Amino acid sequence: MPSRYLLHFAQAHDDFRLPELQSVAELYGITYSLPPREEDRDPTRPFMVIDLEDEEHARLLARRCILIKAVYEFYGQGSTYDELHEANRKSEPLWTRYVEDTSFRFLVTSSQHKIPQSRQRDVIESFAYMGFLGKIEMKNPDILLICFEEYEDRKGTTRAKYEGDGSFRQVFFGRLLEEGSARQLIGKFDVKKRVYYGNTSMESEISLLMANQTLASPGKLLYDPFMGTGSMAYPTTHFGALVFGSDIDGRQMRGKQKTPGVIRAATQYGTASRVIDLATFDVTHNPWRCGELFDAIVTDPPCKYGVRAGAKRLGRKKELTDHQKELCLQHSLSPRPQKTPLTLRYRDDQPYIPPTKPYELSHLAADLVLLARYLLKPGGRLVFFLPTVTEEYEDVDIYAMLCEGMDVIANSLQDFGSWGRRLVTIKKTTAEQHPPPSFKPPQVEDDQEVHVPAHKDFREKYFQGFKPKLEEEEP
Amino acid sequence: MVRLLTHNILACHAKDCNTNNFPLEFKDVQLEIREAEFNPEFLKGFLPKLEWKALVDTAIQLGDTSLPLEQPEMLDDEFLKNLHHVLLEIHVEEGSMTCPNCKHVYPISNGIPNMLLAEHEIG
Repeated sequence: MPSRYLLHFAQAHDDFRLPELQSVAELYGITYSLPPREEDRDPTRPFMVIDLEDEEHARLLARRCILIKAVYEFYGQGSTYDELHEANRKSEPLWTRYVEDTSFRFLVTSSQHKIPQSRQRDVIESFAYMGFLGKIEMKNPDILLICFEEYEDRKGTTRAKYEGDGSFRQVFFGRLLEEGSARQLIGKFDVKKRVYYGNTSMESEISLLMANQTLASPGKLLYDPFMGTGSMAYPTTHFGALVFGSDIDGRQMRGKQKTPGVIRAATQYGTASRVIDLATFDVTHNPWRCGELFDAIVTDPPCKYGVRAGAKRLGRKKELTDHQKELCLQHSLSPRPQKTPLTLRYRDDQPYIPPTKPYELSHLAADLVLLARYLLKPGGRLVFFLPTVTEEYEDVDIYAMLCEGMDVIANSLQDFGSWGRRLVTIKKTTAEQHPPPSFKPPQVEDDQEVHVPAHKDFREKYFQGFKPKLEEEEP
Repeated sequence: MVRLLTHNILACHAKDCNTNNFPLEFKDVQLEIREAEFNPEFLKGFLPKLEWKALVDTAIQLGDTSLPLEQPEMLDDEFLKNLHHVLLEIHVEEGSMTCPNCKHVYPISNGIPNMLLAEHEIG
């Protein structure tokens, strides 16, 4: 018999709440159902009442979901206190066991609003019919009962103290089951406290949300093809997964000391042994011997802050003449040691450094999906960030880069105004083996209509300030 | 780093090097042994992906003879512990890996192999 639980979400990343709930539930094999009414399922609201089979499941959610602040046993809700009390009376079988001899604390609180003390007292007294006989304890009570008033979001408006008090949208009542403990990880993985990071390292809360989308857990093998400074490796290995990382630029993973920076940071978190290996290579020319190796591919392609570091792949922007090619071949076969300060600084690398060319974002994204279909085990997940221009984005942008057997299961926007980035989760739904991708730029027939996604040439659009192209003026 | 698990799933990927391009041959190696968490479920799940002969030969080359030449049908605890040690606890920190076919040398420095291809080696 399922019971109802009240989820209190953290005031952040509301578009990520339901995908995270779905992922963590799948990870632990938890079945849940969302409220039947559309407006009660609205993920921008701070509270949601869900059905779960087991109290233990509610606790698991609270321990793993980054965006859950607390989980409560749900007693009732209403748009007025009369409705709430009516519902709460029907829930008597749930709370009657606390009546006799349980110390308790009663809290009346709200989001984005301060309730005057006098009304808090009135509200508490209106629950007198519950007849709790136990001691009232402000510190360490046996149970904490919370009455939570939800107000419309009035951020950015000026208002008098207590203005609008009592005209809440909904009031919820329940007993605290467990505070969300996963949120503490945001502090633990704070980039500023990390021994090794770079200017494109991802903030900890988002990297933890990504880790949850991968279903990271002990015994899983993950891969990050744009490892950089390893932002994705730390939360995923914390959850027990093993991670393999590669990057076209080994310096990002190494840093300047003998022990690679990624390993030093993983050591700080006690997970160095779970970073299986790091390797320098271009993912479009990769040495994987076979496919179906990984449970998840998780990456933040170096194009979102395309701004700071666009993606690169091996090759040249312009074809060389045959003579130039011959010279390059000679150089790569017998490189002369270069004594510029730059090469001395990176003397761990080979003297020969092959040329690279930009890797356009929409090609990269489409290649990544094909690569994931090859490298993922059936049922595995591809989790990555895609920056998009808010004005131009359409859902078809995401669907246009899919291929057969790869389905989008979540697409959450982190909104920065004129641009944003989408955390895309794609599941490999096919059990068939697929060949590795060719990584060739798609050939397009001239008369063919091709969908141009809003993330194409994102880097250029960013630098132009996302201004629409001006119509050419008539002379 | 460069554990034998990694070594077992990497092949030479230079242009037109498609046969006899695995396993890469370790040379001039410096080894380190580092403890890792034992997870028998992970090992059992990964077994079908391994090229067994390549793993055993490489382990022997690096001085570990604990694995049987044929992959056993019964996966007892002792076997899994040996497999765990070979796959996850032996780290090649320095040295190189050479392709048996095209002889491309992939150098390993501070535990990180450089698998980048030169301009003339990409397709």
